[in-house]
Amino acid sequence: MIRRIYLTSMLNDAVIDYCSLSRFQLHHGKARCSKSTSVFFSVMEERSSIVKTPLNNVLAQRRSKSYRRSMRSCVEATNLGYTSGHLTVLRIPRSRRTPKSRDITKQVDPDQVALLVRKEWELSYVTPLYQFRHTQLKSYSKHLSAFIVSEKQQGLAIEVGQELGFKVNFSVVLGLAETDEDAETVFIQILSRQAFAAKDDAQKVVWSGWLTCVNGDLEFLRSLPSEFVSLPLLCTRGPESLTVLVKSWFEKTFDCCFGPLGINSANLQWLAALWIGCHPTINIQYLKLVWTLPTLPPMDVKYTIHPQDAWELWDSVRQDDTTDVSIEEVTRFIKGLQSHFFRHFRIELSAGSLKQVSTALGSSHHSGKIKIASPTYITTILQLLTECALLKMPI
Amino acid sequence: MSLLKPFSKLPGLNTANILLVENEEQFQQKLADTVVLQEKTVNVNVRLARSLPLPMENEESRPRIDLVVFIIHLTSELSFQSAETSLKYLDPGYFQGKVCFLVTSARNVSVPPERLVSVRKLAASLHCPLLCAEDQTTEGVTTAAHRLLAILKVAAGLVPMATGLYLSTLTRCTVPSDIDQQNFE
Repeated sequence: MIRRIYLTSMLNDAVIDYCSLSRFQLHHGKARCSKSTSVFFSVMEERSSIVKTPLNNVLAQRRSKSYRRSMRSCVEATNLGYTSGHLTVLRIPRSRRTPKSRDITKQVDPDQVALLVRKEWELSYVTPLYQFRHTQLKSYSKHLSAFIVSEKQQGLAIEVGQELGFKVNFSVVLGLAETDEDAETVFIQILSRQAFAAKDDAQKVVWSGWLTCVNGDLEFLRSLPSEFVSLPLLCTRGPESLTVLVKSWFEKTFDCCFGPLGINSANLQWLAALWIGCHPTINIQYLKLVWTLPTLPPMDVKYTIHPQDAWELWDSVRQDDTTDVSIEEVTRFIKGLQSHFFRHFRIELSAGSLKQVSTALGSSHHSGKIKIASPTYITTILQLLTECALLKMPI
Repeated sequence: MSLLKPFSKLPGLNTANILLVENEEQFQQKLADTVVLQEKTVNVNVRLARSLPLPMENEESRPRIDLVVFIIHLTSELSFQSAETSLKYLDPGYFQGKVCFLVTSARNVSVPPERLVSVRKLAASLHCPLLCAEDQTTEGVTTAAHRLLAILKVAAGLVPMATGLYLSTLTRCTVPSDIDQQNFE
């Protein structure tokens, strides 16, 4: 039986001949059908845009039946992907819990907290690390320092364990991980002796970075095979050459990939709402938003708002629900600021894009730079950034 | 309320009219030039607008519009809002295969993914196709023009055996939650 179907492609004028051959074989009353299909494409004119649909349906394996039914109204499905054979969906939350001010120093060593705050970090995302052990940090330090020195002095053989110009410190920052699935934060410091320093002078920190995972997507973390550790957020500070060396060492040792992480305008708005919500407890002193408008030449608009006014606007937008902040409230708050600006200056800020948000509690730039000035809300910010890293990461 | 009506005027012989609606007015010019250059067999008239409703002065001289394309730049929120408000000025007859959404910079890193999701939801609720276009390169503009011409010819009735309504059932946009429903229930 041969059937021929003509389909007119909607993307161009090619006519597709679809022939399907089905043979029926009868064996003692049982019918066996073997089908072989072949598809011919006869192109009438030059093909510039064509989409091939897969011949077989991709089967989806479900992990558990009760999949977020209660959360369906408050998340937005965007990426559907396969992680080691299981269908995982990373979702963008539409509402987040209001942050509670917590004294993080109860959980984390205050000296280590001081290392993380009041510095500007550059963000990258990291794919899961293969066979990364928190117990072998000392050997990692030795290997990394040998690697850095050997890269800096090309052609000279370096022995691991030798006295070197660069010294690397790997340490664990306990207490930042929120759930059982989160891996502990790893802090890396590169120290180096200054040129022309006396022999007994202490080495100075030239580069520091930390890998962290705070409240990562549980579904994703559970679907990883056991040899993989996921620390999706990398924050670095220091010369670019050292950052590249550290990343290439990680890529070689743990078979992972790095990539730049930007903070898009929606997340910058969440951060602005987070910081303004903290105003009753901590005085944020100012709320500064920077927009870039696509005029010729491009125009930057720096919009600084008195915290009390911003707080009153935020309070009026917030409904009495004190547990969750929804994206509609954040959007309404930003729209209020934009329409106020339009009324005075006749410039529509929504035609441009939000580039930077800063307050006394911290600042964030859309190219992926973040500065956290106060340790009180650090876990909420890190949770947001971990989410961004997991969404950006190629699964 | 001055609605744009699809069938209130007679069609021209071997002619197709397309209306490009874009708030920023930068991509529509390039696209119009490419569309006119590419099509050799049919007379294509491209009309440009910033938003709907169209001015009343041209009402008499304007020909019948076969396809209305809304160009949305995802880098700005205003683009999407302007397209949404313009939709109100279209007669419901247009939504049976005579409206198309064209989106640019969907791959851009600084664009929040929520914006593309909301455009997709809008296109899915109106049963319209959603095309993604690359507006910075010439190949991208050519590809977008090629696709629009294919839809335009069907919408203008110049392709035998195919109507706009039939085509729109094949090309309409679907939203991720539809796939979600299918797999998880």
